[in-house]
Amino acid sequence: MSNGEQNPEAVMHQVKAELANAYAQEFFTTVRDKCFAKCVTKPSGSMSSGESACLEKCVDRYVEATKMISHVVLQAYQRGGQ
Amino acid sequence: MSGHDAHLQQFLEEEKRKAVFNEVVAKLTETCFEKCVTYAPGSKFSSSESSCLTNCALRYLESGQVILGRLQNMGQ
Repeated sequence: MSNGEQNPEAVMHQVKAELANAYAQEFFTTVRDKCFAKCVTKPSGSMSSGESACLEKCVDRYVEATKMISHVVLQAYQRGGQ
Repeated sequence: MSGHDAHLQQFLEEEKRKAVFNEVVAKLTETCFEKCVTYAPGSKFSSSESSCLTNCALRYLESGQVILGRLQNMGQ
């Protein structure tokens, strides 16, 4: 952020970009944590094809789980739950 | 407050709301993925994994309500 005379559009754009970046980084860290724990149970000299296949499926499932849960939470909020 | 400021304020509130929502979803997914996906993840979720994830998310939210209620009672 430079001086106070930035136009609002630029500020909004920057805020969105920074939030998206922070989200992506945190998401990556979490997925790596979870999937490493599930797929690389006994780290050896090199990663096996089974382990990398497991990691790939794990990422897909994690993304899917995130979508499912965001849908569920949205519905719960709309029902007035909170 | 100028029009620009009001507009920006509204934008920031909306982004904040979205960020809080994303945080709740991230927390729930982390907890429920751990609980519900017990084996190495497969090519698709089994029906029991899917329903576990959904139930887990809803019960987690509900637990918050119960706990909040209990804590509020204590404060009185």
